[in-house]
Amino acid sequence: MLFRRIYQFLIVYCLGVGLLLGVKYAAGLSDYVIPGPDLIAKTARAMASIYFFDGLNTLSVTILGQMISIAMAFSVGILGRKSSWAGSFIKVMAYNIQAYPIVALAPIIFILLGDGFLSRLLIASMICYFPLLLSVLGIMASPVKDIEHFYLATGRMRWQLEVKIRAFENLSKLITVISGSATLAMAGTIVAEFIAADAGIGYSIRIALYQSDLAKILTALFMIGILISVYQGLLETVGAQVKTKWSAPLGGELI
Amino acid sequence: MRFGCRNLTFTYPGVKTPVLDHLSFSMAAPGFNAVFGPSGVGKTSFARLVAGGGQVDDMAETLELDGINTILYSYNQERLPGWSATGSHLDKICPKGNQELKAELIRIFEVGPVLGSRFSQLSMGQQNRMNLIRYLIQDFDLLIMDESLANVDESLRGQILLSIKERFPDKLFLYISHNLSEVARFCKDILILGRSATWRGGRVVRGLDEVADPEGTHCRPNRDRLDRAMLEIMNAV
Repeated sequence: MLFRRIYQFLIVYCLGVGLLLGVKYAAGLSDYVIPGPDLIAKTARAMASIYFFDGLNTLSVTILGQMISIAMAFSVGILGRKSSWAGSFIKVMAYNIQAYPIVALAPIIFILLGDGFLSRLLIASMICYFPLLLSVLGIMASPVKDIEHFYLATGRMRWQLEVKIRAFENLSKLITVISGSATLAMAGTIVAEFIAADAGIGYSIRIALYQSDLAKILTALFMIGILISVYQGLLETVGAQVKTKWSAPLGGELI
Repeated sequence: MRFGCRNLTFTYPGVKTPVLDHLSFSMAAPGFNAVFGPSGVGKTSFARLVAGGGQVDDMAETLELDGINTILYSYNQERLPGWSATGSHLDKICPKGNQELKAELIRIFEVGPVLGSRFSQLSMGQQNRMNLIRYLIQDFDLLIMDESLANVDESLRGQILLSIKERFPDKLFLYISHNLSEVARFCKDILILGRSATWRGGRVVRGLDEVADPEGTHCRPNRDRLDRAMLEIMNAV
C-alpha cells in the first residue's frame, strides 16, 4: 500500500511536470516562466534538504491536527449518534458548517491567535474535522440490526458495545475516511502557512512565489506529495493490519 | 401459561391494507407451536409485534400473555460480532447457571468443532445453529424462531427440534417456517395466516406434536396422520 501510494504520486507528478515542460517548449516560454529540466534538477538538489525539513514540520502539524480531529469527531459522533434532540442538533450543525468553506475563516484565526503553531494546528484540525464528523456520525447513527438485535432483546446492549459493533462493521469505511482526511489536514496546514505562518512548507512556497521561482515551487510540491503519500500509505497499512487482526481466521474446523 | 390474541389489527405506515386484520386465536402453552402461511401474510410482522418491536396502541389488551414475561425473537439472518471466536462469544453471553445447558446444546447442535472460528467463517447452517444456541441459553418464557433453522439440513433440523422440545417442556415456542411437513410433524398448535379474507383473522390447526422416543431417536411419523395434518393446514392456507 505504501509503495503503491508513492509510485502513484510519482506518476502523477511526472505527468504534471511533463505537461508544464510541454507547454514551455510548445509556447517557447523562457526559464523565468517555466524552468527547464536542468534548472529544476539544480534547484531540487539545492533545496531538497531544506524543503524536506519544512515538509516534516508541516506534516507534524498535520498529524497532530488530524489526531485532534479524529478524537473530536469520534467523541461528538458517538454523542450525536442517538436520534435525541442533542443528536439531531449536532447532525444539523455539522451538515451546515460542512457546507461552509472553513478555510475562509483562516484570517480570523490569525487575527485572534497570531502567526504560529497554534493557528496552523487549529486550521488543520478544522478543515478535516467536519468531513470526519459527518462520516463518523453516519456510521455511528446507523444500527447494525442483524447483530444488535440479540443484545437489545436480552438487555445486554451498552453504548460501548454499540459503538464497537458499528465501528467493527464499518472498519473499511472508517479507515478510508481517516486516510482521506490526512490530505485535508495537510491542505489546511499548507493554506495556513501560505497565509500567515512563519514556518513549514507552505511558508517556503509563499517565499518561492514572491520570488516567482517555479523550480522551487515544483520541488516543494514534490516534497509535499512524497510526505503525504508516505503518511497515507502508513495509515492504510496500519488500517489493513487492524482489519486483518480483527477478521483473520482463528482456526476451528468447519463441518 | 396461555398465549393468544384478540382482534389484532396492524397496518404499516403509508399502506392502506392491514397486514394483520382482526387476528384472534388462542394457543396451547407451553409447547412447540408454529405460525404458518405463505410469504407476505404477516408472519414476521406478527412475531415482531409480539416481541415488542411494533406499535399497536392497545397491544397489552390485544395480546393474551398469561404467564409469559420474557419474549425473545430470533431470525435466521442474525449475526454474531466478528471480532472474536463464536465459542468465546457464547461464553460471554451465557448466564451463570446455564453453562451445562450450553455445553449440551453445543453437542446436540454439532457446533463443537467450530467454536474456535469466527462467525463469518461458518457455513450458513452453522451460523443458524450458533445463533439459536445463544437464544436458548437465555432465560425466556416465549421464544419466536423466525426461520431460525432455515439453512440447516433436514435431518439435523429434525434432531434439533426434537431436542428443543425435550429440553424445554415448560417454555413456549413459536416456530415460523415454510416447511409444511416439518411444521405438521413437530408442532402442537399451528396458527395459520392466509391471504384469503376468510383466513385473515387466523385459524389454529392441530399438528402431530411429534416427540423423540424414549431412546432419544427419531420416531417415524404415521404417514396417514401426517398427510391429514398437512392437508388440513393447506386447506386453511
